[in-house]
Amino acid sequence: MDAAAGIEVTGVRRAFGSVLAVDHIDLQARPGEVTALVGPNGAGKTTLLLMLGTLLAPDNGSIRIAGIDPVAAPREVRATMGWMPDGFGTWDALTVREVLETVGAAYRIAPTAARARAGELLELVHLGDLADRPARVLSRGQKQRLGLARALVHKPSILLLDEPASGLDPRSRIELRDILRQLAASGATLLVSSHILTELQEIADRAVIVARGRSVAMQDLSSASSDQGSRQRVSHWRITSLDPPRLMAALVHHGVATQPLTDAVDVEVAGDVAASELLAVLVGDGIPITAFAPSYGALETAYLAATEDRQ
Amino acid sequence: MSLHGIRTIAVLELRQRMRTSRWPVVLGIWFLIIGAVAGLTWWAVHDQAGDRGTTLYDVVLFFVLGLGMLVVPSLTATSINGDREQGVLATLQTTLLTSADIVVGKLLAAWAISLAFLLAASPFLVWAWIAGGVEVGRMLLAVTVLAFVLAVICALGLMFSALTARTISSAVLTYLSVAAFTFGTVIAFLISMPIMATQQSVRVKVVSDAFYQQTQPGIASQTQPGIPSQTQPAIPEGKLSAEPTAADCVYVNRDQTILHTERTWWLLALNPFVVVADAAPSHKPLKYLGFEPLQMISDGARTARMGTTPDSLNECWPETQPTAVVAGRSAPLQDQQLQDQKQQDQQVQQEQLVQNIQRERLNKVPAVWPYGFGFLGLIGAGTIWVAVRRLRTPIRRLPRGTRIA
Repeated sequence: MDAAAGIEVTGVRRAFGSVLAVDHIDLQARPGEVTALVGPNGAGKTTLLLMLGTLLAPDNGSIRIAGIDPVAAPREVRATMGWMPDGFGTWDALTVREVLETVGAAYRIAPTAARARAGELLELVHLGDLADRPARVLSRGQKQRLGLARALVHKPSILLLDEPASGLDPRSRIELRDILRQLAASGATLLVSSHILTELQEIADRAVIVARGRSVAMQDLSSASSDQGSRQRVSHWRITSLDPPRLMAALVHHGVATQPLTDAVDVEVAGDVAASELLAVLVGDGIPITAFAPSYGALETAYLAATEDRQ
Repeated sequence: MSLHGIRTIAVLELRQRMRTSRWPVVLGIWFLIIGAVAGLTWWAVHDQAGDRGTTLYDVVLFFVLGLGMLVVPSLTATSINGDREQGVLATLQTTLLTSADIVVGKLLAAWAISLAFLLAASPFLVWAWIAGGVEVGRMLLAVTVLAFVLAVICALGLMFSALTARTISSAVLTYLSVAAFTFGTVIAFLISMPIMATQQSVRVKVVSDAFYQQTQPGIASQTQPGIPSQTQPAIPEGKLSAEPTAADCVYVNRDQTILHTERTWWLLALNPFVVVADAAPSHKPLKYLGFEPLQMISDGARTARMGTTPDSLNECWPETQPTAVVAGRSAPLQDQQLQDQKQQDQQVQQEQLVQNIQRERLNKVPAVWPYGFGFLGLIGAGTIWVAVRRLRTPIRRLPRGTRIA
């Protein structure tokens, strides 16, 4: 096993009868990063995650998870991989704690260790109060959090999350983001599929856009990460002003690439330093600026471009 | 497959069932029904002479099997596709549990519950044992075979629940296949009888015409005598009744349809009722009294296996033994009532003698149940194999309509 290898997908194809669910997907998810998997409904995201999750064999192409082929050695992959499916079901009659302990037993964790781990995870996902209630009383968001805890029971170094944020309230969403960032920081490889682009932009380091069973683009989302490299890269910012015409005029005057929106302007500058300089200049010019924030439109733009031909 | 994995699944299954389903209620109803059947049977036989336990034992075991075949399929028939529908199967498949762990764990959990049903019926079997007439060894063999049959039914349900996407389909298929084993085998056997039958000339041992002319002068010559008339005319000198003696038996050649059940008896051996019944009978000669369903089923199956033998072409039953028995205690009886009683006793003894001879013949036929036991064992192993294969991941070929997660 090579934990530094992350997830590598090359030319994967999978058909169900005459329906081609995944045509040709290439993907790479690196350790220490959160990779987003985005695409319209029916693009083949869930099928791809099933193949990565050792449940489905690809017709063609190769998959390596931590350097291991999930078709040849599913057991080894399972030992290092956590999988959180979309629409996670639980054993309704069991208590929340028992669910996690059962999963622990399924991963061959000794009962005492499994109990301790369950307690830890319940704290992490804030389900400690509900630990001894039956799992069926959980709300959708709470179930989703239990699903995340379930995927983390055996401390996996690779995590596959299918729509982890769906049904979560705003606080849980922020907490989820923090948990995922922490896991990435500790060296885990995370692949997250979602529809909510702005949210992914906050969490993910890079995004793979999938449409009609093909991976169409790989997008670098540097804004969320605070690493040094991102400071030099071109970044997008969104500026809102009380006086939009004056703002536009000033931007044109300073030679900044702009993209006007209905109530704001998106600008493209070379890195964080340039952005802060631009803000200083605009304020110096006396333009009444109300907001100057990183624009998450980049992923949106790429996504819309990639999925234009949707039928 | 590992012990640890199987136990994990079995514990999970049992825990869920203990909390969700109403099986304690079902178990209670089950106990009451078996109790009512046992009570009624006892009421019917309690003033009978001899071993009353055999009837009680037979009826209770028959009902336990019959009701068990109705209850047990529901334990597994929706087990796997039900889990799929709830979205909890895939989360187990991505752990270190193997598909064999999941299938065998589920099977053991379901079997444990069906054994609980068996246990709930056991007081009535103990009652039958106390009432007398049934050997403990026989009883244990029958209960073991019964438990085995229930395990096979559990495995059958598990296979269908792994094969079909919808729980309703697997439930219907499971009940249909249980019905096929129960009724289908009997129907197939009955259909096979005329197909296999041959018309041939056989040597039959019958009562001679001379005997009938002597005892029933009014009746014309018979080549195919039925049961001697009930209203018996003048009893010849030296005979206590108008029964033929060995001297009255003659051999004749007769064209007759011969059923070759010895070629198709194995169809019956596939029937779970035959398997249990044939392992179960109390096999008490001379005590063939009331309604003993298992004994009847077992006798039927063994008669079929025996097929047509010179013995079964014997239609002449000489009364040698009863005469001797009666002669042994032939004190002069003056009283008319005693005379009647004596005659009645003798008639009963005569009937029992005939039955005894039949029973001795049947007991000589090798048991039928080991074949059915082996066959059901193959079915059970086969269904488990199919279910395990069907749960193996990563899936290469996904059958139409099935979901993965």
